[in-house]
Amino acid sequence: MEIPYTTEVRPDTGLTNPKLGIWLFLASEVMLFGSLFSSYALLRSGAPTWPVQREILSVPLASLNTVVLIASSVTMVMAWASLTPHTASVRAGNRDEEARSLTRYRLFMGLTLLGGAIFLVVKTIEYSDKFSHHFYPSTNNFLALYFTLTGLHAVHVIVGMIVNGYLWGPGARMWRSDPERFANRIEVAGIYWHFVDVVWIFLFPVLYLL
Amino acid sequence: MAHDVATQVRGYMFVFGALLVLTVTTVAVSYLRLPETPAVIIGLSIALTKAALVAMYFMHLKGEKPAVYWPLGLTAFLFVGLLVSLLLAEGDHLFGTQFDDAFTR
Repeated sequence: MEIPYTTEVRPDTGLTNPKLGIWLFLASEVMLFGSLFSSYALLRSGAPTWPVQREILSVPLASLNTVVLIASSVTMVMAWASLTPHTASVRAGNRDEEARSLTRYRLFMGLTLLGGAIFLVVKTIEYSDKFSHHFYPSTNNFLALYFTLTGLHAVHVIVGMIVNGYLWGPGARMWRSDPERFANRIEVAGIYWHFVDVVWIFLFPVLYLL
Repeated sequence: MAHDVATQVRGYMFVFGALLVLTVTTVAVSYLRLPETPAVIIGLSIALTKAALVAMYFMHLKGEKPAVYWPLGLTAFLFVGLLVSLLLAEGDHLFGTQFDDAFTR
């Protein structure tokens, strides 16, 4: 069965189905992370003492990761911008344009994947450092929240990398067979990736700076 | 279309620059060791601005259809409701209404 409204806009919503779908999914993600941020606010405001977070965590490493994730958001949107103006000519059979735009797309999507990988490597260094100092989730409420929030976020980074990796590799065959639908897939995958960036934009000050 | 995308790409680079400046600003302000309330207000305001830039431009929320705005608006309302109701229900310490306060007065 054909999935309806993958590229054409559905008249009642004014959107394609994947676009509406990703936003509804992200709305549920806001509540997932929102409940954890609420727990953080409640536990911290109710605690008689709270550790000085920046003395336990590394602000320079987290700042580096912030820049890396923001840069990977930029390359993600550039990957989409490499494809979307050329859908009509690829559909019309222009093989030169198809190859050129695909090469450019793969470069930017590859950089996005690299950004995700660097982020995870830095996160691993941070976690190892905490464990080597015997800082575990069970140590105190702050570290429990730190590991839960950053761990859940890292899972989201990994999921995004799996999807982006598929779209960089075997999934990119769709650029020739159905260019509009492929460009839409990149936009939708991008909206998810940017959401992961937005979550980190809040985690960074809340866990490291404040 | 190609021209539109070129304009869009310039916009993305501008947003990238703004996000980097805001990141440097929030880190620099954190080293000032301000008292908690202004530090939280400034830190979260910068984070909200950065998140809004990413959502509006990278996630194409600017000029999006009402079918996206409505569920997101409802989510924002529910999130604020969750946060406020939790703090009101459990945050006795914030409002000085703990039982032990009554006994010690």
